[in-house]
Amino acid sequence: MTSRGTPSRFLKSVLQNGVGRYVCQLKRVSIVFSKKAQSSLGVRDFIEEGVVDYAKKNPGTVVYVSPQACNVPKIVAEYLNGNVREELVTSKTSQQISEILTKLTNQSGLDIIRLRKPFHTDSPSIQGQWHPFTNRPLLIDPKPPTASTK
Amino acid sequence: MGRFVFVSMATRAESRLVVSCRTLLAAAPARAAVRGEGKMAAGFLLNRGVLTLGIHSQRLCRSVPLLQVREKKRWMKAYTFLMAKKLKLEGPPPPKPRWQQPNWDYHAEVQAFSVRLQENFSLELLKTAFINPCYLRAERERREQLGVDSESTALSLKDNVQLRNSGERFAKSFLSDWCRANFPRLPVVGVESIVGNLTSAATVSHVARNLGVEDLSMSADFPVPDEVLRSTFMALIGALKESSGAERTGFFLRDFLSTQLIGKDLFDLWTVVDPMGLLVEELTERKCPLPEPRLIRAAGASTVLPLYFVGLYSDQKLLAQGPGETLVGAEEEAARVALRKLYGFTENRRPFDFSPQQLQQPLLQSVSN
Repeated sequence: MTSRGTPSRFLKSVLQNGVGRYVCQLKRVSIVFSKKAQSSLGVRDFIEEGVVDYAKKNPGTVVYVSPQACNVPKIVAEYLNGNVREELVTSKTSQQISEILTKLTNQSGLDIIRLRKPFHTDSPSIQGQWHPFTNRPLLIDPKPPTASTK
Repeated sequence: MGRFVFVSMATRAESRLVVSCRTLLAAAPARAAVRGEGKMAAGFLLNRGVLTLGIHSQRLCRSVPLLQVREKKRWMKAYTFLMAKKLKLEGPPPPKPRWQQPNWDYHAEVQAFSVRLQENFSLELLKTAFINPCYLRAERERREQLGVDSESTALSLKDNVQLRNSGERFAKSFLSDWCRANFPRLPVVGVESIVGNLTSAATVSHVARNLGVEDLSMSADFPVPDEVLRSTFMALIGALKESSGAERTGFFLRDFLSTQLIGKDLFDLWTVVDPMGLLVEELTERKCPLPEPRLIRAAGASTVLPLYFVGLYSDQKLLAQGPGETLVGAEEEAARVALRKLYGFTENRRPFDFSPQQLQQPLLQSVSN
């Protein structure tokens, strides 16, 4: 598919985040894993080593650890704007999982699609937008609007 | 797939069929040995895999695990078809509030909410702020319908009406002070309409939805209506004011509500029907000569896309100029531009001061620059 056909958006942040104060956008993360399955080995390691540290470092994020019989362990991240992202962590090591969690924490929760431009401004032009009359002299003798032109 | 079929089967004279079933039918004998005498017919639990392969093979019956069928799931197509039809007829299921879904700890969520916004809410006040009167009413009705007597299980919850009122009062007064400090030349009507826009249900509920208030707020119906969400947010402001004081609450309002003004135009917030009349009023108040509209530029007047630029002159000086497709439209636009300049709400004004609290200077100083 060409780039015109793919969904796209402009660069923006949720609620002008960071203008006043920065709010971590990840509100809730649940780690779903199996107690027995081989594919969840790294997740079990992470839960033993790193999850408490993570929760202490990010008090604004609620961490749920839910063991259930599943072959595909996953991390479900919920963001303040209501978006939910699932990351599958099959056969990932503890280190990799901690990296994924850090990535999810730093994201804004907006859809990850093509950005039209890598920059954004709320005031596109300080001097005013260009138009064909920019920097042209005014009409020679200003005349009042007459009934015929109206 | 563990699909079972009951078959009545006449065993052959000397056949000895042993069916072992380990799960699901624990009540049935673990080992059923049938000694047939020809006329004996018995109902057996067999699976389809065995049936398709043929029940005659005694050996196979012993060796195949009876609980699993591995074959093409021919029932799946009909099932998915039915489900798709049901979805089309009934529409998608109604959204479920977050607290009815798995992984939900209300206390932890409320605590995280407070920490996330970097505020010191008192948790009790915060929990009260989330309880809307409509929720209490609905809960009482629900309990009555269930037949629980109101004495033994009384709802000992306080609603957020008081907090909401105090929060709303504070928000309005703070925001109008803030607007007056940032736009000292704006008239009272303009300040009122900006504050009204910032505290309207649309803006506040948008802010509240993006701060995760919707998950926590208790309301009679879901999705939470805008008006209820607005009152919850106002109650939050009231709770913050009671727990950490007016100054912190002011910063909270500045960081989360005033930021909504960024990128907005004055006349989006304030509906002015007759900008020229307002401009004339303003100029007479300031004792300036009245504005004179002049056509200063025109292009394509005879085409379907004409363009006129009208300039407003006062005392032979150009106040403002505005474009338009008609002369009337261009004149009105020019009046709006002139008003924006008069009130100091132009696009290229100095940005608002959103610096962190330690570096915060008095508001009035930044305005005077």
